[in-house]
Amino acid sequence: MQKIFNFKNVIILLLVIHFSIFLIYPIYKAFAGSLHDWNPLIGQYDFVGFENFKHVLTNNLFWSAIRNTFIFVFFSVLFRIGVGLGLAVMLHSKLAKFKGFFRAIFYMPTVTPLVAVSFVWVWLYDPQFGLINKFFGLDINWLRDSSWALPAIIMMTVWKDFGYAMVMFLGGLMALPEDVFEAANIDGANRWQCFWYMTWPLLKPTTLFVVITSLITYLQAYVQILIMTEGGPGTSTYVISYLIFEEAFVRYNFGLASAMAVILFVMIAVLTAALFKISGEGEMPL
Amino acid sequence: MISIRKALFNVVLAILALVTVVPFVWMLISSLSPNSEIVKIGGSLFPTPSTFQNYVDVHQNFNMLQMFVNSLFISILTTVIVIYTSSLVGFVFAKFKFRGRGLLFGVVLSTMMLPWAVTIIPRYEMMVDFGWLDSYKALVIPSVISGFGIFMFRQSISQISDSLLEAARVDGASDFFIFHKIILPMSRNTIASLAIFQFLWSWEDFLWPFLMISSQDKQLISVGLRMFNGRHGTDFGGLFAATSISIIPVIIVYIIFQKQFIAGIASGSGK
Repeated sequence: MQKIFNFKNVIILLLVIHFSIFLIYPIYKAFAGSLHDWNPLIGQYDFVGFENFKHVLTNNLFWSAIRNTFIFVFFSVLFRIGVGLGLAVMLHSKLAKFKGFFRAIFYMPTVTPLVAVSFVWVWLYDPQFGLINKFFGLDINWLRDSSWALPAIIMMTVWKDFGYAMVMFLGGLMALPEDVFEAANIDGANRWQCFWYMTWPLLKPTTLFVVITSLITYLQAYVQILIMTEGGPGTSTYVISYLIFEEAFVRYNFGLASAMAVILFVMIAVLTAALFKISGEGEMPL
Repeated sequence: MISIRKALFNVVLAILALVTVVPFVWMLISSLSPNSEIVKIGGSLFPTPSTFQNYVDVHQNFNMLQMFVNSLFISILTTVIVIYTSSLVGFVFAKFKFRGRGLLFGVVLSTMMLPWAVTIIPRYEMMVDFGWLDSYKALVIPSVISGFGIFMFRQSISQISDSLLEAARVDGASDFFIFHKIILPMSRNTIASLAIFQFLWSWEDFLWPFLMISSQDKQLISVGLRMFNGRHGTDFGGLFAATSISIIPVIIVYIIFQKQFIAGIASGSGK
């Protein structure tokens, strides 16, 4: 007869307890809280139905945050994958020397702490002593100009994160079957044809993985905004996660913030599911 | 012809590598320069490094080193605990059958997709109710279970052959013994890559310590950096020094372990 408190059961029990306290209950509470007028500073917790959602969905700032979020996510994912894939292909090429060294360098920004790196970029963008304006001889006040602030943040984010995509694509490239490419070479396919008709389709699972993980990360990104622009100038760099941060921990409108968190949660779930579905149906026959 | 192309190709790579590291180099050089040199109008691209004073000042005016030590302590503690719990739970998911295993593992996986914004408000309230504000309990205890860590260990422990574990069981080894004497030693690579990941995540975490810790002598370095910036916003030499203090150690650790680390990420992709 087995004891009830054996090794396996104790661990499962501890896991379930931890999950219940720090995960399941908070999720329940976030959904419940989104239906309440909830302010911890004055001890308020009154049921208001869908008032919070109504308030959020009719708020202009929320919609500009949604717009900015999609711009930020779209371009960050696009350039992260573009730069990452480009460098992976270069490092995979037979022409490249010191591959390990270059790979380590390109991956370096990815491992550095985001708060600190955001500060470094605030100074790189500084109109007076920043390296970027000095080097290119520009006169742009990157983070204080509403048309440049979001692109500046995207640029910094891509610099910080392309290394991850690069390592993923390198892994994908190394797993490709060599003989197919040799056969294609013999058949007279040029390098571009090889890439477009073979490498790229074969890298689809890797691409999908990088797109989904990037999407989940960038929809929730707020640290670079908090450090570099605090949503400004005007509302030009408000993204939804920064808005949630501000609503919750600057204004202590926990109810409104929870409603936005629920909306973000649904957005992430729907986008991820949609990506899986699209890529599953559009699988290229090879 | 080939060799010229090869040389050009590698020059391009080298330029791109230079662009990648320039922000760090500029930060480090600026941290060694006096303020006047950094903000000099019409100065050269890089200030001329001449002094360690910024580092001394940052320590004396702001106790940055204390925050550095705090961050080191919390990050190492969390990392050690997370590795232990992740390998235990990963072992159970990989090698034991029980009712609800699929469902529970699904929950583990879904934690990786869950936005911080959903759980952070209720968790904040919970910590207030528990009376854990301004205590390291609030930083460590909620994060001792990592969905990502469990996932990584489950993948790697699944590869260990069942017959090996069976043989140990026949010899009378307990599950506890098998875990410590067979599973853990065989998981060295997973331990190494999770260690670096988890360390970095704890090291760079901003919002949670920002919300939980209020006394300055307990504060962590990410939050400290922002506080320092708020109070000494024009002391650029000091700012560069403070930032370097939080970035350079990570880069050193990375350079030492980068081979294992990059191998770990590529294998963790679950391709």
